[in-house]
Amino acid sequence: MTINSEGKKSNVSSGDYPPPVVHPLAEPRVSLKPEPFYDNYQSGVPIAIDIGSSNIRAGLTNTDTPFLNMPTIISRFRDRKLNRMLTYVGNDCFLDPLFKSSIKSPFDGPLINNWDVTEWLLDYSFYHLNVSSQDGVDNPIIINEFMATPASQRKNMYQLLFEGYNVPSVVFGLSDLFSFHYNNRNNTNKSSLILGCGNQSTNIIPVIDSKPLLHFAKRINWGGEQAVEYLSKSIGLKYPFFPTKITTHQFETMVQDFSYFSDDYLAELDDLMNLEYLHDKDVVLEASFNEVVQVQKSEEEIARQQEKRREQGKRLQEQAQKARLEKLVEKEADFKYYSELKERLLNPENKISKKQMIQTLSEAGFDDVADFNKYLSNLERSLKRARHQDIGENEVEEEPNFYLLDMKDEDLSEEQLKEKKSQKLQKANYEARKKAKEEKLIEKKRKEEEEAQEQSWREKDLDGWIEDKRAKLKVIVDRKKQREKLKAELNDRKSHAAQIRMKNIANLAADGSGNARNSSSTALNTMGNGGAGGNGGARSKRNVKKVTIDNDPNDTFGANDDDWMIYKDIANFEDEEQLEVENSELKALEDLLLKYDPSFNPEDLFNSEYNWKKSTLHKFLRGAYSFDPEDQHQQHQIHLNVERIKVPEILIQPTIAGLDQAGIVEISENLLLKRLPSSNFYNFNDNNVTPDIIKNIFLTGGVSKTANFKNRIVREFTSFLPSGNNLQVNVAEEPIIDAWRGMKLWSLSDSYKNSFITRKEYDEMGPEYIKEHNLGNVRL
Amino acid sequence: MSSLSDTVVSAAINRPLSFKNPKYNPSRRHKPHRQLVSDEQKRLATLTLPVDAVTYFSVEAYPPLRPQKHYCDITGLKGHYKAPSSGLRFANAEVYQVVRTMAQGVDQQYLELRNANVVLK
Repeated sequence: MTINSEGKKSNVSSGDYPPPVVHPLAEPRVSLKPEPFYDNYQSGVPIAIDIGSSNIRAGLTNTDTPFLNMPTIISRFRDRKLNRMLTYVGNDCFLDPLFKSSIKSPFDGPLINNWDVTEWLLDYSFYHLNVSSQDGVDNPIIINEFMATPASQRKNMYQLLFEGYNVPSVVFGLSDLFSFHYNNRNNTNKSSLILGCGNQSTNIIPVIDSKPLLHFAKRINWGGEQAVEYLSKSIGLKYPFFPTKITTHQFETMVQDFSYFSDDYLAELDDLMNLEYLHDKDVVLEASFNEVVQVQKSEEEIARQQEKRREQGKRLQEQAQKARLEKLVEKEADFKYYSELKERLLNPENKISKKQMIQTLSEAGFDDVADFNKYLSNLERSLKRARHQDIGENEVEEEPNFYLLDMKDEDLSEEQLKEKKSQKLQKANYEARKKAKEEKLIEKKRKEEEEAQEQSWREKDLDGWIEDKRAKLKVIVDRKKQREKLKAELNDRKSHAAQIRMKNIANLAADGSGNARNSSSTALNTMGNGGAGGNGGARSKRNVKKVTIDNDPNDTFGANDDDWMIYKDIANFEDEEQLEVENSELKALEDLLLKYDPSFNPEDLFNSEYNWKKSTLHKFLRGAYSFDPEDQHQQHQIHLNVERIKVPEILIQPTIAGLDQAGIVEISENLLLKRLPSSNFYNFNDNNVTPDIIKNIFLTGGVSKTANFKNRIVREFTSFLPSGNNLQVNVAEEPIIDAWRGMKLWSLSDSYKNSFITRKEYDEMGPEYIKEHNLGNVRL
Repeated sequence: MSSLSDTVVSAAINRPLSFKNPKYNPSRRHKPHRQLVSDEQKRLATLTLPVDAVTYFSVEAYPPLRPQKHYCDITGLKGHYKAPSSGLRFANAEVYQVVRTMAQGVDQQYLELRNANVVLK
């Protein structure tokens, strides 16, 4: 199922704002019908061609609008079935999606570099204009060229037109000036500052008394195509895992439909992080996708599943309890056995020699006394932990009767012996449980006492209590932060922390004595006095053969538990057990503070719920709405917010895109306030007389259709112009086709008749020759 | 390849065309933009031109003289800070977390957006 309908309300819950209007991404371009043919071809009527890097407009000048207005592309490929080359041009390239892969443009950047493609484009144009003359196009040509174009461009175009199509005459001009010519057809103001915002470049051309001052003109190498490319790269980085590919055409549509010039760029950047404003400006676009519908389960089914799960859980719990109990019993028995052993060994009455002691221990499977000690203390610790565990002692138990245990085995029958065995087990179970219970009770009592103490403290001195708790909390939080920082630092090999770590590792690995064991102590002393010395002596006697790092007798590393801390220091991972303890402490403190400290709010929690409303990145990526990563619609959505104003802003601050050129406003300011007045074209000193050029700032070219462009230009120009000037900014009627209309208009004028180059002149003067006129380039 | 309909096939343009010079057969090279520009530069160097001659290069806009404003490379907001490791500009501490933990190479992609990336030649 394909979804996506215009203006569909999404089911995103925002909390505070209504869900956004979701726009679909643009559909791919499709042409349904082949380009038609012109039905009013007349020989001798000039053909005007305005060829730009995005669109070409061509037509006989006996109409008011260009008959052809199509993208400047061809698609040429071999059809295997028909076994011949097929060439499609302009809109026809969208007749079938198959043509897309072989689409070519004659342009590389602002200049034409593929003249074969250009030839196809002109072939097609003349063909569809129904040129019917033989062996040549019997129409004069008016065509545009780039401002201050490289000579090779003109040469190639001349060559193609004169030699390929045998045209009688050719004249070149600048699109921006043609557009100005058309929009100024009533000759209201012969001066103007033209801001021609094209697809590949932006031209700033001053015109004084109808004469373009090209030696004052400037070109910024930024146009609509660069803007689209910039947006596409930005979005690619903003949503690196976007599930579908967004086409150039879709980016083009985004720029055209949603970008706008900000009135005050810096202020608006700040405003965009304001939720209400963001809600207003954020644009949500959704790519179409096939939604996987998840089957909704009935309530009954869910209940049944839950019941099943609960039962399973209970069973598992019981099993675990049983296992724990068994283990506990085993441990209790072990502990009892080994503590008795220890007592026996240490009891002076038994008079056990060191040798005997070691022998007994090694028989029991221990390396030495230290090993035994360590095992015992570990056992004790784990036993304590185990007693606190849940071992299923909920049911009240009476002490079972263990009458058989007191009888001697000889007096019992076979069956009774069996019974006795089971009673033995039961007794152990029972005792373990009892002990655990007692332990727990003590713990509980201690806790209660502590709680009571706290309570009385709170009642007496709440502020002091809060202070104490906050200090404790701070210690934990600081430690956590410190650890985070350390972890981050360890990522960088050159950081201080990483170097300390490497040092430690090196020390540990280093051969020789004492390097890494400075902290080890003689744990053997705990066994009784003299034990250590005697032992050490015995060992050194045994280990005379070869001292390596593995059997160094002086190596007491590890005898002290703290020795192992070195590994904690150098380990790159976190100690989860410790972390858990810390987390529970943190949580307990926070809970207390939440309960009793009036100034402690949920936002102050260390792991406070991530608040997207405060997150710059969330607002940038997801707008003023919450984000559910599971929602398939939201996965396929992109948000335009900062980009909407950033992309057009590049024309004013090209450095945003790393273009080392001044923006249109800076160039215009310099031109209007300094360069033109200093060349005496006008001056601002005449009181209350606005120079003509200020009264006609003219915006043309495709990019000038960007929303709010005019207002921004008015704002910027007003800010730098001396006050009291009558600034007027005009936008071309139809920026895209006005240049062609200007050509048409000019083809009727005397100026045209004096400006075209005939074939004879071309042959005579060479491929760089032009006659200068008010709408074209100057001759070098 | 699915077969194209007759109308679509007939929309393809074929040569020869009656209005063309049948003898026109130029030999061409497709030069990239960079080469077209350098060719023009070489051509202009052979000419003696007046100081204020209008050339492809003289109309090029000059570098900005106004102080440059800095923007966050990630979000486009005001970027008051600069990461020492990558040179990326960022808006606040939250964005810095992204800058810091950025996968290898992504920082260069961001820098490329403003032509500040390292280009190995």
